[in-house]
Amino acid sequence: MSTSAATTAPPAAATAQETSATVEFRQVRRAFGAAVALDGLDLAVRPGELLALLGPSGCGKTTALRMLAGFETPDFGDVMVDGEDVTAVPAHRRDAGMVFQSYSLFPHLSAADNVAFGLRMRKIGVAERRARAAELLELVGLPQHGDRYPHQLSGGQQQRIALARALALRPRVLLLDEPLSALDAKVRLTLREEIRRLQRELAITTLFVTHDQEEALSMADRVAVMHAGRLEQCAEPAELYAHPATAFVAEFVGTMNRIPGRTGDDGSVVEVLGRRLPVDGPQAAPHREVEVLVRPEAVELLADEEGKARVTGTMFLGALTRITVRLADGTVVKADMTTHAAATFPAGAAVTVGLPDHPVLIDERRA
Amino acid sequence: MAGLTSLRNDTSLWRGGRKPRLRAGRGTILVVSAAYFAVPLIASVVYTVDDPVKGFTLSAYTEILSADGFLSALLLSLELATATIAVMLLLLVPAAIAVRLGGPRLRAVVEVVCSLPLVVPAIALAAGLTTVLKWGPEYLARTPFYQTIVALQNPNFPIVLTLAYVVMALPLAYRALDAGLRTLDVATLMEAAQNNGAGLIRAVTSVILPNLRAALLNATFLTLALVLGEFTVASILGFQPFAVWIVNGSNGAQGSVTIAVSVLSLLLTWGLLLMLSTGGGRRPTHEPRPTSGPHNEKEGTT
Amino acid sequence: MNANTGRRRAATGPQRHQPLARWAVVPLLLFVAIAFGIPALAMLGGAFTTSDAGPGTAVHYTTGNLTASLQGAYFTALLGSVKLSLTTALISTVVGLLLAQAVVTSRHGMLRHAVLSASGVLANFGGVPLAFAFVATLGNAGVLTQHLGLDKAGWSLYSFWGLVLVYLYFLVPLMVLTVISSLDGLRAQWREAARNNGATTWQYWRYVALPVLAPSLLGGFVLLFGSAFAAYATARAMVGASVPLITLQIANTLGGNVFAGQGNVGLAMSLDMVVVAGLVMAVYIPLQRRSARWLV
Repeated sequence: MSTSAATTAPPAAATAQETSATVEFRQVRRAFGAAVALDGLDLAVRPGELLALLGPSGCGKTTALRMLAGFETPDFGDVMVDGEDVTAVPAHRRDAGMVFQSYSLFPHLSAADNVAFGLRMRKIGVAERRARAAELLELVGLPQHGDRYPHQLSGGQQQRIALARALALRPRVLLLDEPLSALDAKVRLTLREEIRRLQRELAITTLFVTHDQEEALSMADRVAVMHAGRLEQCAEPAELYAHPATAFVAEFVGTMNRIPGRTGDDGSVVEVLGRRLPVDGPQAAPHREVEVLVRPEAVELLADEEGKARVTGTMFLGALTRITVRLADGTVVKADMTTHAAATFPAGAAVTVGLPDHPVLIDERRA
Repeated sequence: MAGLTSLRNDTSLWRGGRKPRLRAGRGTILVVSAAYFAVPLIASVVYTVDDPVKGFTLSAYTEILSADGFLSALLLSLELATATIAVMLLLLVPAAIAVRLGGPRLRAVVEVVCSLPLVVPAIALAAGLTTVLKWGPEYLARTPFYQTIVALQNPNFPIVLTLAYVVMALPLAYRALDAGLRTLDVATLMEAAQNNGAGLIRAVTSVILPNLRAALLNATFLTLALVLGEFTVASILGFQPFAVWIVNGSNGAQGSVTIAVSVLSLLLTWGLLLMLSTGGGRRPTHEPRPTSGPHNEKEGTT
Repeated sequence: MNANTGRRRAATGPQRHQPLARWAVVPLLLFVAIAFGIPALAMLGGAFTTSDAGPGTAVHYTTGNLTASLQGAYFTALLGSVKLSLTTALISTVVGLLLAQAVVTSRHGMLRHAVLSASGVLANFGGVPLAFAFVATLGNAGVLTQHLGLDKAGWSLYSFWGLVLVYLYFLVPLMVLTVISSLDGLRAQWREAARNNGATTWQYWRYVALPVLAPSLLGGFVLLFGSAFAAYATARAMVGASVPLITLQIANTLGGNVFAGQGNVGLAMSLDMVVVAGLVMAVYIPLQRRSARWLV
């Protein structure tokens, strides 16, 4: 095997952040029998950024991550790290630290020995191993827990140790495979911030796989939404939320209303709720029955005794309250407003529903 | 790109060279093991049907029935098995259920008691039993206990063997029953049954036992296999059930008849155990192992 | 975390206790006290008293039986049993692990089912028929012995290695059953985490898999040792007395094949066996616990 060139110290990268690596998937395809996990994935990760791979289960996000770690090989296409194809490099020389979903700590080793495991594999001396393990335990906020065994640690602590272990070999890329999904809600929140802080501090290029859109939006520099083995959209969280490129992204990220409408004489306008609004993104043929996608916070409600819509329920969310409205044709629409304003819309109240004068996304009518 | 592609091809070559080697290693292990376990069985059958003079013959099997003492030995073993299973179930089923209802201390006591026989190998148990039985004529000759000792050793039905076999079956049978009960929430089931108006006994017989069918079968089959194959205690105490007869009693018969009997008894026992591991052992939960718990309880048969 | 749930269960348990429950256990305890306790005490007492030379002779306390049981032919037999048990347990542990690993890594569900069923059957069976099956195969007149001319090559089934070969027949399946659930318990994440930390396949086995399996393997080894140590029927039916084994010696002294008055030495040897079996369990149980903690 003459692949050592790819695994030795990273070549001086001509990027802004000198130590951080770039990662790129090019036309990557992978099928397991008849099931296509990746169907021509193209994705570039910038140096030092935290990129979340978001999508429903089976969308191929984990396969992409495991490919980078060397646990899967592409049927077609290249996986590049710093411009070099790494598909030929075996997993144990990939230089990519990985944190698994859960239970990945070696049960027979103490926390410190778990962290130092990779150094031991590299035949690094005991003293240096200890020092580095202590340093890493400090980094993840568990300096006192080095002697504990995995079964003596809570789930959150185990994942911190796993994170320290993944960083022990100073990898060029950090891979996180749903590391928070097995944890309690509260621990999940603190660990989110912790991971983000560490990642910024180390400026390490990071791929984070998750099916939790809130997690992805709150942590990542950019979010790549995947669907059926393909990349739907890769953008910054705010952009992704405000301007979803496809209907799938629109609905997967955040909550989305689907209100029936009809395209105008050309496909660039749509008639909805008695108004004509410009169409954003992909257009449909003229005079077609479509559905208009609107975020709950964009929906306007007006108390109106003549109104054909009825409030059917309210859900208190804290500062905001989500009001459910049934339109005359039976369509259910959700509208978010401040809890204070929502007080004027009790259940059963008659209202009219309005939309702001912004371009809207449309999608084919569903049955 | 060309360079990268060729690198990948190297990898696939490398992988291609490695996987078959692993598979070959696995294949070798499986084939050698299969041969080791199959050859003695096949050879035994060949031995019994292949007469050096007459060639192929089934006479070894037909002669079994007429062999001296065969039927009485087999009958004795079956009787012992029946009695052992009955006593074992009567003692263990209430205890195993009670353990699920009682506190952790009760559970610990029963587990220790049922594991005790593991510490005393069959031959040591037999040694202890011979000592006790010798007390009869020596110390108890003039007491009412003498009749008890005599009755224990009645050669037509040696109760003492049943006692020993129940003791030897305890660890195995208890574990089988306990594994079955583990899948049930006995306390809740009992409360539900009693809440619906069933008495204590009725709750056990109508709710717990039907759910325990597989575990009961498990315990029964394992005990049956143990008794049918038991040689150590019976031979030391001087009785002649089936396994002892094969070694001692059939000496008069031809060698091939002896082998034929043991082939039949192998098949019989294996049939029973296979039934257990495929049919009877099927539980509502996915239990991958055909039998449960550590297996050193089987000293008696080895 | 496990400790917590255990404690919680123990804490909530007492509220649901049925006071009647302990009465259901009484018959079992009484039975064990009589059928197991009396012979065990008789053996213990006999091991420490002089053998009765006949009715009316006074019985004395002595440690002579135990001393005798650890000397001469008796000690040779004890050593023979230990040697046979160690050898068979060691071979079975290695072979059983390899076989179980071959089954676990195989993608054929049928193979797994077949091997597990067969192991369940074979592990629970040994004894006389097994001995005779090997006699018919590899004995002096055995099918393989005759066809392959093994006797001319100096092969004898009625020897130490012959016994080893036969014992493996029930010990290897026992090991497969013991170790296969542990192999299933080895998480894929551990292998991948090890690889991810730069471990080669060999290093993964050396530093992760084998250490994690160690309690289970050791526990299995000890269990096999105990099984082989206590086995009597197979050896008795096969070799008679040509290989010195403690079980055969005990049977001899009890059967009166030696001088009168030696019976209690047999009881002392039985006590030796109980001590060994007790040690086996004392080693096995903590190993089992540790393995369960790691591999569940």
